[in-house]
Amino acid sequence: MESAALPVNRSKGAAPSFLGQLLGFNVIWAVAFAIVGYIVAHWLGGKIGANIAAEQNPGGTDQDDIAILLGLFGSIIGWMLGLGFFNYPLKRMLGRAPSLHEGVDSSTWRYFRLCTDHKVVAMQYLVATLFFFFVAGLNAMFIRTELTSSNATLFPAGNYLTLVGLHGTMMLTMMSAGVIGPLGNWLVPIMIGSRRMAFPRIESLTMWLTVLAGFVLLSATLLGGFPTGWTGYAPLADQARAGIDSYLVSFLLIGIALVLVGINILVTVVTLRAPGMTWNRLPIFVWAMVTTSILAVLAAPVLAAALYMVMSDRSIESTFFISSSGGSPLLWDELFWFFGHPEVYILALPGFGIVLEILPVFARKPLWGYRMAVAGMFGVALMSFMVWQHHLFMSGINANLRPFYMFTTELISIPTGLIFLNGFGTLWKAKIRFTVPMLFCLAFFFNFLIGGLSGVFLSDVTSDVVTHGSFFVMAHFHYTIMGGLVFALMGGIYYWLPKMTGYTINQALGKLHFWTMFIFFNLTFFPLFAAGMLGMPRRVSSYNASLHTLNVFVSIMAFCLGLSMLIFLGNLVWSLVLKRERASDNPWHSKSLEWQIPTPVPSYNFEQIPTITGDPYGYGLPEAPVVDFGRRGAVAAGEAGA
Amino acid sequence: MRVRLLAVAATFAALIALVAVYVVYFLESGPPAVAAVINRDGSASLTLQVVGSYGNHPFPDWVSYLVKDPSGKWRHTTIWKLPAHELVHVTVYQFDSQTGLRNNFLAQVRGTVGGVATYTDVGNTGKGSGLPPYNNTSLSVIPPSEPAHTFTVPDLDLSVPLVGISDSTSNVCAVAPCPMHFAHTTISFSFRTPGAGTYRWQCFVPCAFAFLYGFGGPMQTIGYMDGLLEVA
Repeated sequence: MESAALPVNRSKGAAPSFLGQLLGFNVIWAVAFAIVGYIVAHWLGGKIGANIAAEQNPGGTDQDDIAILLGLFGSIIGWMLGLGFFNYPLKRMLGRAPSLHEGVDSSTWRYFRLCTDHKVVAMQYLVATLFFFFVAGLNAMFIRTELTSSNATLFPAGNYLTLVGLHGTMMLTMMSAGVIGPLGNWLVPIMIGSRRMAFPRIESLTMWLTVLAGFVLLSATLLGGFPTGWTGYAPLADQARAGIDSYLVSFLLIGIALVLVGINILVTVVTLRAPGMTWNRLPIFVWAMVTTSILAVLAAPVLAAALYMVMSDRSIESTFFISSSGGSPLLWDELFWFFGHPEVYILALPGFGIVLEILPVFARKPLWGYRMAVAGMFGVALMSFMVWQHHLFMSGINANLRPFYMFTTELISIPTGLIFLNGFGTLWKAKIRFTVPMLFCLAFFFNFLIGGLSGVFLSDVTSDVVTHGSFFVMAHFHYTIMGGLVFALMGGIYYWLPKMTGYTINQALGKLHFWTMFIFFNLTFFPLFAAGMLGMPRRVSSYNASLHTLNVFVSIMAFCLGLSMLIFLGNLVWSLVLKRERASDNPWHSKSLEWQIPTPVPSYNFEQIPTITGDPYGYGLPEAPVVDFGRRGAVAAGEAGA
Repeated sequence: MRVRLLAVAATFAALIALVAVYVVYFLESGPPAVAAVINRDGSASLTLQVVGSYGNHPFPDWVSYLVKDPSGKWRHTTIWKLPAHELVHVTVYQFDSQTGLRNNFLAQVRGTVGGVATYTDVGNTGKGSGLPPYNNTSLSVIPPSEPAHTFTVPDLDLSVPLVGISDSTSNVCAVAPCPMHFAHTTISFSFRTPGAGTYRWQCFVPCAFAFLYGFGGPMQTIGYMDGLLEVA
């Protein structure tokens, strides 16, 4: 537990001068040092690689992978050096006193450097993940533009695979951090009554590693691209040009960041809960973060190991995935999907948490089946490690294993179904307020239901034989990830951003964004089920001319979907940058702890560590106090507008 | 408000510029399309050379195709424009050494006019198979140990094995474009183009030296051993 009193040195410090900020450790120096780090390490790698002749290397790629990989690792060290991540351990080695309070002041510069204020880190995460989300979305627009023709006409055909790979990898990696980064880091400490995360410096490190991962992935375009899509299958990854090195290092960084952020959230929730914040009172969003963190901590190290193995195949003559030298390409499939399927739930579980957190607020009813929801999320987390081989039904696995994995995959729909029961139970006979966040949450159920039902066809071995590798699969996972996670994330952003930024978000533009996004999302992806059943393959820019009309229609709808995202972006710019209307402390009349503190939230969160006295979903129980802030007095449920 | 508006506009303009750079320098980057020479009778002539090592930036040791443009200049591209529904006369100057086939089926000449191709050895010091040199010899199949590469268009069921020079030849070209005094074989054939469309072609001999199983690198890069026929 934290000390209840506000430490003297925790108040926001005065900002140093502009010159002082500029010359201090910040992202400008990080970029400069990363470039220097790359050049130095690349030179060193070139010297080492010169002694390994290409013909001696069974996994050789006729390129200097040692130099490129070392260069990328050198840029990571330079990046961390420029941001000041080595200062703390160096100071500790020199005997200086530790500080939990680094880079926290009132200046705008705190957003461009290492900062231990979890709210600053969360805002950094939000901007970074949205930036990469839009970059990946732009690639999706280019993909759809190319598919308006049944032949590769717009871009050189060799670039199409890289385009698909960049879109997929960036969406998957950045969306892994899309909720746990901004919302997890911002909300978890406040929701449990803490002033900070357990490891504030590691929290900042995960954010800056995620940013670097995005740019390293983009650097693949300078190195010839990569042909593997987001799955990086061997032996294609062993054969690919140097762009795959960017993919490997980028994914490795994300894997490390996922493990660290998972450990940080788990330790924070276990050790820093306020008095009275029992496990039974833990907000459902925090439970979602806990289960997501468990998945991240257990699954991501396997991915990191597999990525390292490909790197060593490409650079130092190991043969993990080269069958002619005793390795096995199927080993990559196993290791990747052991991470890859839990990764799907690393994306889905935060969505469950957001939706179940928001529903009671706008249904004005307690969350129905709180314990069932927690059990459902743990059930999903546990079972997600038992289904990964359904991705390998067509990869030559032992046929006797197929029924088992078909069964477990179909079984996972039960804990997932519990989440639907919780949602519908909460909505039952409720007086629903159709606010923008609520609309996104309701759309989540619609989309995720279609995604889930189509998933049954893919879990079934016989139908998977037909649909595997087609646009049917593509439509399915877009319904679960975009229709699920991204809709939930949008709901979460509209819901919490007024508290996070202190400014209201325009609701009229928000509703326009919702309806355009919902309609055009469905018009984009639903026809792709049909395209898949008609034989439209994934990852190729040429397709049968009979599918041309369908693809043109889908592309037009996709462009409209892209426009809806521009409405969202315009709304953020209008509301947060141009208009800047102050938000009230609790505009949604929520009973959750984060809404009971002032807006904008002070850097220390709470003057005194609060005492939790009720559950956050006690709508309809006007006498129940939620929290005792000590000197500020208790906030009763009635005040929260039950 | 005005300052913020300007800042938003500047940011927006910078992002548009970045997107433009991304499109121009990455998405649209690739080898150019070169038209075949159109003859008076409407047919087309396509003159190619295959080299064991390109010898130039960015991948000097990659095997590659080159094409002669209508002005007679050798160009490093594998995207070729051909007229639809016309006869195309192809001449390939093949400067790379024999690697042999993994699949003997590809030793057949398929999809050409008459089902044959004409082979000539130039400056070769002897054939690995021990057979006499080719001298304008029309063949429908060649010994599977002799090909260095193939020119294969799966959509057209067109495939021609390209005989390699002998390993014992010393007069080997190392930098493209290769002058004709270096040892090479000459392969000629004709085929008829289908309707308008883009057709992928590929060398089917895993010839990417130092890449796993001979695939990867030039074998999967348009501009080297992989390309497109743009028929219009």
